[in-house]
Amino acid sequence: MAKKELQEEKTLARRDFFKKTAAASVTALAGTSLFAHESAGAGDPAIMNHTKWGQAWGDPVDKFHYGQPSPYEHNNVRRATSLLSSGNFRASIAVTPIHESEGIITPNGLFFSRSHGGTAYVNPNEYRLMIHGLVEKPIVLTLAQLKRYPSVTRTHFIECPANGGQEWRGPQFNSVQFAKGFMASAEWTGVYIKTILEDLGLKPEAQWMLAEGSDNSKMGRTVPVDKVLDDAMLVWGQNGEALRPEQGYPVRLLLPGWEGNLCVKWLRRLEFSQEPWYCKEETSRYTDLKPTGKAIQHFYANEVNSTVTSPSPEIPWTDVKEGDIVEIEGLAWSGMGTITGVDISFDGGKNYVEAQLKGLVLPKSWTRWSYMYKIPKNFQENGKQIILASRAMDDAGYIQPTIDQEVSVMGVEAVYHRNAVETWEVTESGKVNHVEIRSV
Amino acid sequence: MLKLEAYKKVIVSATVAASVAVLAVGCVEDVKPENTSSTKSAKVAIDGGSVYPVVNGKTGPYYAPEQKLAHHLNYGRVPNAAELAAWDTDLQPVSELSPEGHGIPEGQGSVEDGEELYDAKCVMCHGDFGSGGGGYPALSKGNAEEMHKTLTNNRWKDPEAPGPVRVFGSYWPEVTTLWWYIRDGMPHPFSDSLTDDEVYALTAYILNINEMSIDGEEVDDDYVLTREKFLKIVMPNVDGFEPNIRGANALPGVRAYFANAKNFGAQNLNQGAVRCMHDCQKATAQVKHIKFGGIKDFTPPMSTVRDLPAKKAEKLDVKKTYTAACAMCHDSYLAPGAPEWSGYTANGMDEVYAKGMKGTEGGMPAKGGTDLSDADFKTMADYLVSGKVK
Ligand code: HEC
Ligand code: HEC
Repeated sequence: MAKKELQEEKTLARRDFFKKTAAASVTALAGTSLFAHESAGAGDPAIMNHTKWGQAWGDPVDKFHYGQPSPYEHNNVRRATSLLSSGNFRASIAVTPIHESEGIITPNGLFFSRSHGGTAYVNPNEYRLMIHGLVEKPIVLTLAQLKRYPSVTRTHFIECPANGGQEWRGPQFNSVQFAKGFMASAEWTGVYIKTILEDLGLKPEAQWMLAEGSDNSKMGRTVPVDKVLDDAMLVWGQNGEALRPEQGYPVRLLLPGWEGNLCVKWLRRLEFSQEPWYCKEETSRYTDLKPTGKAIQHFYANEVNSTVTSPSPEIPWTDVKEGDIVEIEGLAWSGMGTITGVDISFDGGKNYVEAQLKGLVLPKSWTRWSYMYKIPKNFQENGKQIILASRAMDDAGYIQPTIDQEVSVMGVEAVYHRNAVETWEVTESGKVNHVEIRSV
Repeated sequence: MLKLEAYKKVIVSATVAASVAVLAVGCVEDVKPENTSSTKSAKVAIDGGSVYPVVNGKTGPYYAPEQKLAHHLNYGRVPNAAELAAWDTDLQPVSELSPEGHGIPEGQGSVEDGEELYDAKCVMCHGDFGSGGGGYPALSKGNAEEMHKTLTNNRWKDPEAPGPVRVFGSYWPEVTTLWWYIRDGMPHPFSDSLTDDEVYALTAYILNINEMSIDGEEVDDDYVLTREKFLKIVMPNVDGFEPNIRGANALPGVRAYFANAKNFGAQNLNQGAVRCMHDCQKATAQVKHIKFGGIKDFTPPMSTVRDLPAKKAEKLDVKKTYTAACAMCHDSYLAPGAPEWSGYTANGMDEVYAKGMKGTEGGMPAKGGTDLSDADFKTMADYLVSGKVK
């Protein structure tokens, strides 16, 4: 058969296939550029032409001894802002691109990074961990000795309690990365501190543990022994490899679900005591000022929370049309338990329907949720632009408050632990704006 | 270990008590099945959340082999006295149980010496009289007692009102925190470099600019702070915090505090909150948009484009680099082209480069804390010394 004929036959066969599938899912295909090219008869150049990578030699396997993301992914990165940066970006935060995140694990290079004196580079050979105070037997461990303890592996998010904290008085960031990305999630490997304490013996009068870092700020925090004897871990593994320097290489404290700041990085010392410490981050920092003038101190857990991640201001719905069926996706998480459900609203949290949870649902972990939605004309329902809102619940019974509910107790000066329902308005052109629904 | 077992019992009974308290206020019968989980226990953690005890060899969804834990492992070694002394240097405040606090060193320093030190080592970031700015925290906003009164300011009731003043003098509960943090964390680019007497002097100066008194005596310009006087400092906001964490038996109170969702602005379905499905916003609730475009100053700029990265023009912008990385220190000392440079260049530029790249005891961080290439750093040093861009 002549080559040309063969090609025509192939094209025909493909058309046939399209007809059949098109009948089944008109909406899925309608309007794609592929279809447009087809009807013009030219064929999509992305299909019709040879590609550079399809003909020339690729890289040798030993080019990267440590693999890199595709260069095309260079915009999927952590970002910082000078408004949240002190000390020449040393007492600062770089936040996770959660609009591009997949599943419930953050790649190590995109894990949000917060430090108070810059990222320390600890020499693992000189690493020492001292555990002392109200224990029967104080010890010093090298890294190898610490790793000899029986390990556990757990998936947990770590969240800065100031996630969303810039928006107590109104929305500020038209970006889900900055509005909600002061967090990330990983599979951590380490040892339960209670396992080590089986060896050392904790004295009964001990109430508090000091965790102290070796970085230039000697970051310290006070932890109640309840957590130490529950699920507190000393971790050295992050998603199957050593912790990244930004996450406290070689060892950090992990208090599942609790303020990221409490999960002290570059950890060098644990001391047990009857009385608490009053560290630098237990002052005007990391306490929640209420309208009474009193501040909540030792506010440990990041409460139940959620957000829509798709669509987002970063990746809007400008390419979808009326009648398209699209997946609305998001994250839900709780530092106080396991997500039990997520409700979704299209009118800014007036009325809700149930969304579906997806994939693994683990304690104190990111949990994915989803809702299949048929795009209405002009992105309007009942004559109003839709405003997406999600509201999560956990197995301790907590449910996200409205802004009005949360503010009525906490006022607007609390800075930390804001977990009211987050809202995203879709404009007539499909752009997505971060908004807040509130009385004051 | 026996002791640990005894300890666990204390905690378990306390958490049970806390959850009983929850049952008393809440309406547990109303909980829908989808809001409960078979893997978690009825106990409440100290944070008010769920706990996942090991049941049938699993904690929550994870297998938890317990046989490993039955043995003494005895890893590591006991630290000696010198090692403990080197690292066990934290401070704890004066309290009923510890009238001398813990770890508060001997020493003294005057406001006068403190001011001199402050002007040499701190002012470039924290500003005159600790005024802060440019992203650096303020260390004072005036009279501590007066500023303390602003903590009830809440811009929710009146958006035009001034907000609360959150600085050391108005807000911090304990002075030991200041002493400890200055010694271990400051100056920011070169911490752990001050003597105990210098820390007392800087503390005295910061008390002075916060217009504080010790035992009825004003910390005026002639004041000399000693350890003895330091032990007597009471911060204006010492009682400004909840829950209570002081005393030999503080944890039950902490557990009880977080067992009540109302204390921290939370909604709990086991404590009377409802999962509202219809008409869930107040009638007064309005859509609030971001004003003036919001914060957009992102590094790197926001983009989701999938293209090949532009080849970076790696050319050094001398003035921009100076403003971003050197000005906060060098504007006030050794400014570009300043005459004091002659005191540094006597042995030639190579020594200036070398010292600048290595950092100095006198407060210059290695390469000014940048990751400039050696060549670019030298260009920067040339600019600082000469005041001219080549
Ligand atoms: C190069 C800039 C720089 C210099 C020099 C510097 N600091 Fe700081 N200082 C900072 C930064 C940045 C922070 C905030 C750190 C953080 O967010 O954890 C800070 C925080 C502090 C705080 C805590 C303030 C608060 O409200 O949280 C105190 C107290 C302090 N510095 C004292 C000093 C003293 C005393 C000196 C001089 C010996 C000094 N600093 C020198 C940058 C500097
Ligand atoms: C945190 C404050 C700080 C920053 C930031 C800083 N410097 Fe310095 N620098 C100093 C101080 C203080 C000295 C004086 C050091 C001394 O006398 O030991 C100094 C000295 C120097 C010297 C002379 C070194 C010697 O002893 O001969 C050079 C060169 C220099 N700085 C260059 C720079 C450049 C270039 C930058 C920016 C890229 C920079 N510095 C950023 C504080 C700083």
